[in-house]
Amino acid sequence: MSFFDRYKTTRRALLQNTAAMSALTAMGWTPKDALAAQGERKFIFFFAGGAWDTTAVFDPHHESDYVDMDEDTYQETLGNVRFTAGANRDSVWRFFDRWGHSAAVVNGIDAHSVGHDSGTQLTLTGTSASSYPDWPTLIAARGAGDYPLPHLVFSGPNFSGTYGGSVVRAGGGTLLDLIDGSLVTASDQPAPQLTSVSDSIVDAFVHERVARYANAHNGVAGLDRNRVESLLASAERAMELEGRRFEAGLDDLGNSTLDQAIKAAEMIALGLSRTAMIRIPGGWDSHGDNDVQAPQFDAFFAVLDELMEKLAVTPGLATPWLIDEVTIVCMSEFGRTPLWNASGGKDHWPYNSALIAGSGVNGGTFGASDDGLVGLPIDFASGLEKDTGDLLGSENVGTAILSLAGIDPASHLPGVQVFDALLR
Amino acid sequence: MTSPAMALLLLSCATQEVEGLDLLPPAEQLKRLSLDLRGVMPTLEEVASIQQAPYLYEDFADRYLDDDRFLGQVRNLYDQRFLVRTGSDAGLGSSYDGDTVAAALADESLRLVSRIVDQDLPWTEVVLADYTMANPVLADVFELDYPSDASDWQPAHYVDGRPHAGVLSMSSIWYRYPSMGGNANRHRANAMSKMLLCEDYLTRPVVLNRAAVDQLVIDPEAAINENESCQSCHSTLDPLASHFFGFFVTDGEDADDMVFTEYMAEEEEGWRDYSGKSPGYYGVPTANLTELASQIADDSRFVDCAVRSFWEGITQRDYSDLDWSEVSDHRAAFEADGLLVKPLVKSIVMSEAYRADTPEDLDLAERLPGVKVVAPHQLANTVEQLTGYRWQFDGLDGLTTDTLGLPVLAGGTDGDTVTERSYEPSVGLVYVQERLAWSAAWHVVEHDLDSAREGDAILLHYVTVEDDPDNAARAFDTQIRKIYEAVRLSPLDPTADEPEQLIEVWKQVHSVEGSARSAWAAVLTAILRDPALITY
Repeated sequence: MSFFDRYKTTRRALLQNTAAMSALTAMGWTPKDALAAQGERKFIFFFAGGAWDTTAVFDPHHESDYVDMDEDTYQETLGNVRFTAGANRDSVWRFFDRWGHSAAVVNGIDAHSVGHDSGTQLTLTGTSASSYPDWPTLIAARGAGDYPLPHLVFSGPNFSGTYGGSVVRAGGGTLLDLIDGSLVTASDQPAPQLTSVSDSIVDAFVHERVARYANAHNGVAGLDRNRVESLLASAERAMELEGRRFEAGLDDLGNSTLDQAIKAAEMIALGLSRTAMIRIPGGWDSHGDNDVQAPQFDAFFAVLDELMEKLAVTPGLATPWLIDEVTIVCMSEFGRTPLWNASGGKDHWPYNSALIAGSGVNGGTFGASDDGLVGLPIDFASGLEKDTGDLLGSENVGTAILSLAGIDPASHLPGVQVFDALLR
Repeated sequence: MTSPAMALLLLSCATQEVEGLDLLPPAEQLKRLSLDLRGVMPTLEEVASIQQAPYLYEDFADRYLDDDRFLGQVRNLYDQRFLVRTGSDAGLGSSYDGDTVAAALADESLRLVSRIVDQDLPWTEVVLADYTMANPVLADVFELDYPSDASDWQPAHYVDGRPHAGVLSMSSIWYRYPSMGGNANRHRANAMSKMLLCEDYLTRPVVLNRAAVDQLVIDPEAAINENESCQSCHSTLDPLASHFFGFFVTDGEDADDMVFTEYMAEEEEGWRDYSGKSPGYYGVPTANLTELASQIADDSRFVDCAVRSFWEGITQRDYSDLDWSEVSDHRAAFEADGLLVKPLVKSIVMSEAYRADTPEDLDLAERLPGVKVVAPHQLANTVEQLTGYRWQFDGLDGLTTDTLGLPVLAGGTDGDTVTERSYEPSVGLVYVQERLAWSAAWHVVEHDLDSAREGDAILLHYVTVEDDPDNAARAFDTQIRKIYEAVRLSPLDPTADEPEQLIEVWKQVHSVEGSARSAWAAVLTAILRDPALITY
């Protein structure tokens, strides 16, 4: 049996077979693997690194003497969501007006930290222990679908834990040029692109070598096992997409937050990725001047609005529209102090909010904070304040997201109560 | 030079010290050593010599440590600690283009580190140097006292009255780590702590009790000064921060302008207006930046941090308490030689843990890799070493500058949003290797198969553009074996099926493309995509 024949026996034989590959490339992508992704919820995560001011949008406290609210703002309720409206918040208002019914704002979340790095880790992993993956990495790695680019990090933080092979850093947009091969024509000493047929001939040989390399390391443990398995899995995923030409002008998109969000939606629609991470731009760490918060929030909500619109008109893999199978998760590492400091800024604060919208989400405002912006006990089933309830932490929100993803939270963080109110 | 008998004895003793740890074969040890210390693979001649005489390992280590390329490796390694290669020119006006300014800014501190290594200066020079490092670009940007006829990196001086204290007085550092006035330079203090002491305040598991929360609501400044939870960081962070007010941040003329950092002696005591905390170093009052530098130089954590940084960077391991004994040995070597870097690095690369294959012990395997993964610059160097090709875009190196994001895709960092290397090969690395391999392969065939070529071939010594597998079967076989030997640093087994399979690849691609050049480029690409090129 030649190595070409042997190669045909692998799980991605259809795509790697030269004839099939050629035909597929000519026709455009009709991913069989995407079928495996059907029925699974996908996620786009946004993260505001630096710590956002929860009162600027999510947690209005105009009635409190202990919370400084921005001037010319007021409390508004649209759908079931209560938020801070007013100056510099047109897009915020528009978002909740259009999508408030499927958006959940969760307040009073104990971030357990006021250090940026530790807060980021706790918010995204639910634990301070090292080697734990963040929510999107875990969801991508443990999905039933076979995603070539499981977790796509366009920007923002990533804790890959032991699932490094499931994480692809998009690298400012160059990834698409690498996938379609056009990057080789753009260098100072350009090379012509090899035809897809020849490319797949080479791929078949390379796959055999990488598989042999992995076999030679069969039985290794620990770090080496992760690295070797990751190499083989990554090689297979890369070959699966080889020569892919992206429609919808995807190649032409830039690297703005909206561009990244649209790319993420397209990748999900094509069955290529299950999760994505995008940094929310801005100088959120507003010790010196808290006035930066509202315009940054508003710019971000404009992106969210367009993304939701995109999801609402894009056919889904298993549902009529993508919005029915994609959940948007927006987080920051913690919040900011209720009162302005001497510079008009706000400092680090351990109570936080999160916005979760889209598929599977029970719309409304959940959780609660008192008039000093301190988290209050709540009933996890209803999400409403309850004296005998429990305090809400980042880990409870995270395990609810795992539940939305179809992952048993107890298998990852045993003993952590799931914030059921979030789930529709 | 170590005698053969002594070297063998040492190697033998070393392998008996830790159970479940087998050393790599000599050739692979040398590959690891060369990639880590020079950033390139060893030559075939070097491999042949160590295979004949494994005891030469230590001599190679000494030779590589004296290689100029080691200094570049040191800069790469220490950027992982300083995180200064962000690609930002900080909006600084200059007669040079932004990319050139960005590269110069990033290198100011890293050039000091490599000078310390090159000149065998004690590590304390990092904070005690009474000069900075500059090239003509940096001299122009910061108006430094720098010889007008010079063109390389060399010591220079700021002329704005600042005290010189190694990296602590470099403008590039404080552009990289700005701090809003409202935060009273705390960001800078933590950056200094991370860079020089490996202590990150932001990773401290601070738990704010209810009293702290209540006090923060009412009076944040009082809470910072009085509450135990807040004081666990701020009692030492704030006095550190008070050293940096001289590096004053000024806004541009309008809100969209960049923020500039200038040294202004009159602002040195700005802490009085912001935090009210007088300068100090973990309880010891200090008067200025120079005294801060002395305190740091005397701090055992400063030495620990250097040892840890070199050890982690070279071994691709994350330090844990379980590694304390091993790292302590390297620290002892560092101190025994007066805090010189080369003895420290030599101690690391001579250790059996560094030269080990995958450990059999499961616990050890979780923290000691037998498979290392190349950094982007190592991949670029190796491909250039083999093919003479360097992947460049608009004159910039694709894998060592971040304009296209390729270093991050290949598992590297960008100094800003991605600050830790990824050691698990990703789809991005696979693609980078593939596209780089093809580009380099095309460069080789264009050169080697040109009938009018002058000079030696790069790789294709045994075939011409007219040859095909039917009329030159032996030449094809030999050619493929020779390329593999260059990539894997060892000849293929006589029974290996790679030549036969690659001849088949050649035929198939030739039938599709109708071009011997394309067919050979495909074969070369296939070999350059071997796992041996990205693992070591």
